[in-house]
Amino acid sequence: MTRSQASGHIPDLDLITYYSENGRSTLSMVSPWTKLTALIAIIVFLTTVQSVELLVALYALVLMLYWRCDLPLKKLFDWSSLPVLFVLSLVIILMWREPGMPLFSLDAPWVSLTLTDNGLLLVTRLLLKALISMTSSLLFLMTTRYAHLFAMIDRIFPSPINQIFLMSYRFLFITLGMVNSMIRAFKSRGGGFIKSMSRQSQTFAEIFALVFIRSYDRAERISKSMESRGYSGTYKTATEVQPMRSIEYAFLLTLFSIAAYMLLLHSSLI
Amino acid sequence: MDDRNVIDSPKEHACPEPNELIHVDCASHTYPDGSIGIHDLCFRVREHEIIAICGANGSGKSTLLEHLNGLLLPSNGSISVLGKRVDARTKKGLWREVGIVFQRSDDQLFAPTVLDDVMFGPLNMGMSRDDARKNAMESLMAVGAEGLVSKIPSYLSGGQKRLVSIAGILAMKPKIIAMDEPTSDLDPAHAELIENIICELKNKYGISIVIATHDLDLASRIADRVCIVKDGSIIAEGSPSEVFYDAKLLAGVGLREPNIVHIYQEFCRRWGRELIGRPVTTEELMGYLLGA
Repeated sequence: MTRSQASGHIPDLDLITYYSENGRSTLSMVSPWTKLTALIAIIVFLTTVQSVELLVALYALVLMLYWRCDLPLKKLFDWSSLPVLFVLSLVIILMWREPGMPLFSLDAPWVSLTLTDNGLLLVTRLLLKALISMTSSLLFLMTTRYAHLFAMIDRIFPSPINQIFLMSYRFLFITLGMVNSMIRAFKSRGGGFIKSMSRQSQTFAEIFALVFIRSYDRAERISKSMESRGYSGTYKTATEVQPMRSIEYAFLLTLFSIAAYMLLLHSSLI
Repeated sequence: MDDRNVIDSPKEHACPEPNELIHVDCASHTYPDGSIGIHDLCFRVREHEIIAICGANGSGKSTLLEHLNGLLLPSNGSISVLGKRVDARTKKGLWREVGIVFQRSDDQLFAPTVLDDVMFGPLNMGMSRDDARKNAMESLMAVGAEGLVSKIPSYLSGGQKRLVSIAGILAMKPKIIAMDEPTSDLDPAHAELIENIICELKNKYGISIVIATHDLDLASRIADRVCIVKDGSIIAEGSPSEVFYDAKLLAGVGLREPNIVHIYQEFCRRWGRELIGRPVTTEELMGYLLGA
């Protein structure tokens, strides 16, 4: 199912879909609504909690769940490099400006930089938050069937936002497939090796321009085929999403209670 | 070739026939960039027939099909479907009567699962979810694709995609189905399957089928009537045995006679026989060869 990717560091949508369609883990059997609520709870938790210990515990829990669902850990670490680079590029300057106990100093004739304990904590905290968000989102996507995800988008968002989401989500696959096939064609004729920055930039600009034109062309054809079957601006999904069971309600209640208790406990300790 | 056998496309405003489903009367279509899609084209679709629109690439076949479904309106001339003249107002409901199976199935299949995609048309018709699901399942069974119900369309093979595309149209129970190159890019097994389904749609469901193709072998096997299109106009029309034995006509539009016709003509030439018949199917050819 999966095709060769332009880069091993970009999440492979085909592979994600493969796991979501063929997964047989416990999490795959759980109602998508439960998983979505848990994901929202994690995001809320991440925005409020500052404790590195709690973040480490949560990351360990999410990683364990990911591993227990037979999802590919090596791929996850490959895909993690992009958020890690993103966070590092953001905090590379901020980390030297945090007040606190100095750990390391870098003196130059024109500037003096000091890394403090708080600066180091800032990097760690942000890295953990990014990795937890990414891993839990992937865990949700890789254990939720595509049709269920589609139906949930349809139920959650009002029209026309849901229509935009529904169409653009599918389009993402098509566009990425198109980019991949163009890059393969490019490499098959000796492209891909950096000869000069200007030449490389020009080639990638051409690829993206072509993707844009082809996407537009394809969108026209899809629109025409939809019109020919009576599409008038509203697409309704036909798939029914499995509702939450009582045990799942109980699980979420427990999860929220533990999270609230830990947050309260931690704030009282501070 | 006897010229009387190939009926030239009528240029006069012919009267509708009683069993006529579609009547295209001297229709022309010019695209916004000035290129001509169809020009002064006259054409009829009758009940329970398979019509093959044959022509080279860019001859206007696909443009003609899009007119039948109301996706395009003629710049000049008129089109009537089931006795109603198609205009900007009436074209909106035309998709209920005339379904189109597009050449590229990928453009037609966009829903998250096969079932969702096949249910798309029936739901747009206002059917309840249960009725739409029932229709969709029946259509998928009719094309032998019931095992694909929960699959994601983009991960299907080319042949499976084509089957699902046909099911998506069949689920709307149209009276006419227009198919653009229905067997292009398919392996022989899937092409044969699609061919059988087309015949079944006509024989079992009574649907009239319009096929745009440059595969004359396919047209010779299944079509009741063949129209040859060149530069947006139908230049000849008749039964396959009438049209496909006119080598000059086919060469003039960039087409080559079907294999059966070629073999029979070669046989007669090499054995010094006269063309005593015009076989266009394997069975007909075998009959003539065994008789000879």
